[in-house]
Amino acid sequence: MPIPPVIAKLPEVKSALVSDRQGGIVEVVREREGESAAAVVGFLSSTLGEAGEHLGLGALRRIAYSGPARGAVVAVAGAELVAAFVEPPSSLPSVERLLSGALGQKEA
Amino acid sequence: MEDILQGVLDLSGVSAAIVFDAAGKLVDCRGRAIYDRALCEHVSGTLAKAVDTVRLQQEAWESISAYFADGKLLLQNLGEPTARGHVLAVVADSSLNTSFATVAIRVATNKLRKAIAEGTLSQGTADPQRTGPSNPGSSQLAAAGMASSAAGSQPLPSDSKVLANTGVSWSKSSSVGLSRVAAANPASSAFLARCAKQLARHVGPIAKVYVEESVRRVSPEAPFSLSAAAPLVNDLAAQIEDPADRAQFCKALEKP
Repeated sequence: MPIPPVIAKLPEVKSALVSDRQGGIVEVVREREGESAAAVVGFLSSTLGEAGEHLGLGALRRIAYSGPARGAVVAVAGAELVAAFVEPPSSLPSVERLLSGALGQKEA
Repeated sequence: MEDILQGVLDLSGVSAAIVFDAAGKLVDCRGRAIYDRALCEHVSGTLAKAVDTVRLQQEAWESISAYFADGKLLLQNLGEPTARGHVLAVVADSSLNTSFATVAIRVATNKLRKAIAEGTLSQGTADPQRTGPSNPGSSQLAAAGMASSAAGSQPLPSDSKVLANTGVSWSKSSSVGLSRVAAANPASSAFLARCAKQLARHVGPIAKVYVEESVRRVSPEAPFSLSAAAPLVNDLAAQIEDPADRAQFCKALEKP
């Protein structure tokens, strides 16, 4: 799937990518180290998905992480992952909402 | 520290509160129903890997939230944003009000940071005897590592022999081990954990024992695999008296 245009166009989204679950890059926008970022996103979703299975939380839908300067949201879309890297991190909740809406996911 | 974690656990929707160090070693935990120490220990290692992965992407991190079909997992950095330190993990079901919980978790985070700064955070204090709510009125249950948990659960049996047998885990690497039932693969093991969690909503922490017994009935010869998921769910449903609860349980486990 392509990166949802509504996400790619946001000024707060500094870069975005779509990868497969194994971290293989599918599409990338404004990310210089796309392959590395895709691998991180793939491994992170795999690790948290494993933790969720052990905790009986069911299938992974979305991950959001933030720090003082930036944050990111990773959404699971079928066999692929859509990631948006956001600055400033205070914009993360609105990007999360837009990404969930673009992927047709219900807000958690 | 246990008071701080208990405060988090008291939030509506929270199932477990875990503190682990940068190496993924469990420091302390409080949890309901199936969230015993063995499970918390196992998950701590996995979550530490997730934290390290985030730090590959951005060295400074403060929080990580993961949203699942049946719940949420919130991680809070207890150290400096750029340092590898302790982490608070909160496991919650889908009823958690994230906005409300965020405030309470921030309060707990600040208290835990203070405890770390003062050096009063003792490593390896968690034990199965202390995992679970510390309601003084349920000392027998607390001593067995359990207490009345999920909303809507029925009163628990008071037979201490039965309760004492529930401290088991599906986790292959747990200290208690997958001692009484075997699962064919991680997906099957995860499904057993889901079954125990869903069943615990209706029968309480005894759910693990029921799942163990049921696995032995539906898959007596071979390790449990997802091909036996439907018979297992039907067998477990028989443990739930209320028809509406039984239907809810079956529906929650429709997709292995």
